[in-house]
Amino acid sequence: MTTTPPFPFPPTYNFPPFFTPQPNTTTRHAQLEKWSSLIQSWCRHHRQYRLSLIDAVESPLFHNTALRKRLDLREARAVVDWMTKSEEEGGGGRRAEWIPDGPKTVAWIWWRRPEEWADVLVDWVEGTGQKGSVLTVYELIHGEGAMSQEFHGMDTDVMLRSLNVLVKRGRAQIFGGEGQEGVKFF
Amino acid sequence: MFFKSLDLTTALRPLLLPDEILLFVQDAVGLYEGKYKIQNYQNGHAYLTSHRLCYVAAEDPRKYSVAIDLKEIDRVESQAGFLKSSPKLTIYPKPQKKKTDKSSSATASPAVAQQSVLQPTLSLSHIPQTNFQQNPLSPKPINATWICPICSFSNPVPSNFDPATANAATNLPPCLACGIKPPFTTVLKAAISAVASRESPLLSSVASPAIAQDTDQPNAKASLSRSGSRGTVPCPRCTFVNHPSLVECEICGAPLSAGSASANRVDSPAPLFEQSHIANTEVSESIKLSFRAGGDKTFHERLRGALVQRKWLLQNAPPVPSPSQGASSEGLPSPVASVEGTLSPAPRHSGVGIAGLERRGLEARKKNELVIGNAFEDLEALMASAKQIVALAETLARESGMTTNESSPETSAVLSESAAALGMVTTKDMLNSGSESLYLSELARDLAEYLTDDRKGILQREGGIMSLIDLWALFNRSRNGVELASPSDFQKAAELWEKLKLPVRLRRFKSGLLVVQRYDWNDEKTIEKIQAWMEELQRVPPDDPVPWDWSLFGRAVTAQEAAHRFKWSVGVAAEELEMAEDRGVLCREEGIEGLRFWRNYISSCGYGDLSRLAI
Repeated sequence: MTTTPPFPFPPTYNFPPFFTPQPNTTTRHAQLEKWSSLIQSWCRHHRQYRLSLIDAVESPLFHNTALRKRLDLREARAVVDWMTKSEEEGGGGRRAEWIPDGPKTVAWIWWRRPEEWADVLVDWVEGTGQKGSVLTVYELIHGEGAMSQEFHGMDTDVMLRSLNVLVKRGRAQIFGGEGQEGVKFF
Repeated sequence: MFFKSLDLTTALRPLLLPDEILLFVQDAVGLYEGKYKIQNYQNGHAYLTSHRLCYVAAEDPRKYSVAIDLKEIDRVESQAGFLKSSPKLTIYPKPQKKKTDKSSSATASPAVAQQSVLQPTLSLSHIPQTNFQQNPLSPKPINATWICPICSFSNPVPSNFDPATANAATNLPPCLACGIKPPFTTVLKAAISAVASRESPLLSSVASPAIAQDTDQPNAKASLSRSGSRGTVPCPRCTFVNHPSLVECEICGAPLSAGSASANRVDSPAPLFEQSHIANTEVSESIKLSFRAGGDKTFHERLRGALVQRKWLLQNAPPVPSPSQGASSEGLPSPVASVEGTLSPAPRHSGVGIAGLERRGLEARKKNELVIGNAFEDLEALMASAKQIVALAETLARESGMTTNESSPETSAVLSESAAALGMVTTKDMLNSGSESLYLSELARDLAEYLTDDRKGILQREGGIMSLIDLWALFNRSRNGVELASPSDFQKAAELWEKLKLPVRLRRFKSGLLVVQRYDWNDEKTIEKIQAWMEELQRVPPDDPVPWDWSLFGRAVTAQEAAHRFKWSVGVAAEELEMAEDRGVLCREEGIEGLRFWRNYISSCGYGDLSRLAI
């Protein structure tokens, strides 16, 4: 992760009012959308699946040192809260999910939702002719066959959730014990 | 005497000539030409100035407003209200030199007509003349009169009354004096006798008043019994069947619906004058002002005062040589410059040097003492010399302003210009003290004129918008501590602008701040201005290097900067910026520097950078 190229920030990142919660609802909505997309791009760039707000508020994501502007923890939490809500609730389309242990400080950032990951996995399995074969979860994440794939080096929990989506759809079966999970695609 | 057309100000009030002073204003006034109501001139404001008598209709004032020069007025008679008839002022024009004989007969007034009833011999000389004047070409058939059986007032037979076609169902106008409808037969007989007298003037003119008088009493009795069966009015309370001419029930005193006095006195009983537009029309007989909401006494008093004072004679008078000219030409502020001009010049000793200056100062002080002393002798005198006193107070204020070093040069400039404004300012004294609403509407007009006056340009200087409180302060300061408007009156007056269709509007911001602006001013215009400014900021590089892309974002602006740029007050600027933020044109940045506003790049830039980020 240390070798990744610097993240290309969008122009809004250098716009000082971006860091002030806007009272106008229309503007606020646009602002939240921009923050949501910025957080997603940031996590994707850094291959991050969970975001700890405590750490993130000190990172360049929420702290623009050039402008000397920052989004404080409370505001960052408001943004992620908005992301967790579905669009019907006036939120950001469930692009985040609080990790339930403890207060709202760590969240999954779904730059791809588990359902979307499941589609990616199915496409890969079908594309590589591995239908019907059995793979371990470790192989899926760290295997050489999936080196070029986006899910390479994925968080195990996210992988398991994505596989569970496939199980529900009847496209895969998970077996084996804790930490030793295998998966068979149909 | 002519009805002259009248120029109105922006506030729909008469435009005053130089030196003309507004003396009195009364609302709900109707206009009569002779005995005839003039259509469309039945509900308006009467303005009495030192030179003219102006009438401005409440509805469509630009169309229906006329003025009469006071110099053409011969005399004024007051007629008290009687039963349903409103108090009236009858104004007689001066006889015109060219046609003296005609105008003498034209001044046949109600008083004269009444005399003719009492003394039929006297009317002999009048009636033929009247008939002669009323030749068939004349549009006004005022040749017939009927005499009211109740009050014996002689009324004109309505112009549309034709004895050939009229029957008992014809709608008859009530008596001008007492407002009670005449029996049909009385009017019919009067009309017939008038027609007969036209055919043989000399013969019937002797008989007609006598006949009218003789038949009066029997007719009234006959009509009592006759109309009793037909047009009776049952009392709503006790069901007693009353005579139709009764206003109250004979038995229980309850008001009868048919006769109950209606509040709308526009429907006054007099017949209508035929022309509806009377500008530049000659007044042949007399005009009447009907005061339907009272105020006639004060109006009469002021009118008489104005006729005695003859201010219009001053218009062409050469200015009185002012002894203070020497002092003012030296560049010294002369506290009496404007006052001395109106006083008779005192014998002047030519003083040299400091002694001369001192003596001049002493003289000036003595004169001021005299003016003040005279003015305070009694209230009437104070009102008469109000202008002098105000001028004096103003020069004193200007002097003190110089010594105390006024903070804002602009406000002091406005203050010094206010003498001109004072001539037009309505004070409570000019109005009937009872009518609060009239005072408010006049105050509203005053304010509108004050604001839109191009000489002062108050609104322009404030960037087209100013807070009501600022205006209140400025307005009261310009009144120099005389006849101050109270805050509640002021606000009420400002709220009337919209109703009176004046060119300024009161507007309430979201925070409750009340501001004054031109009626054609709106948020879109403000936003246009702000947007133009923001675009300008994107073109002009900021003074100090900034960490953001100024060509894309521009620069932050504060309320102070906006106030400075658009010449608004800071409170107004803050409100306007927030309004623009509400509209999504601006967005805010809160920081240690305070609240600043930016062009709304957040929602306006679209999704261009989002698609780029999606990789």
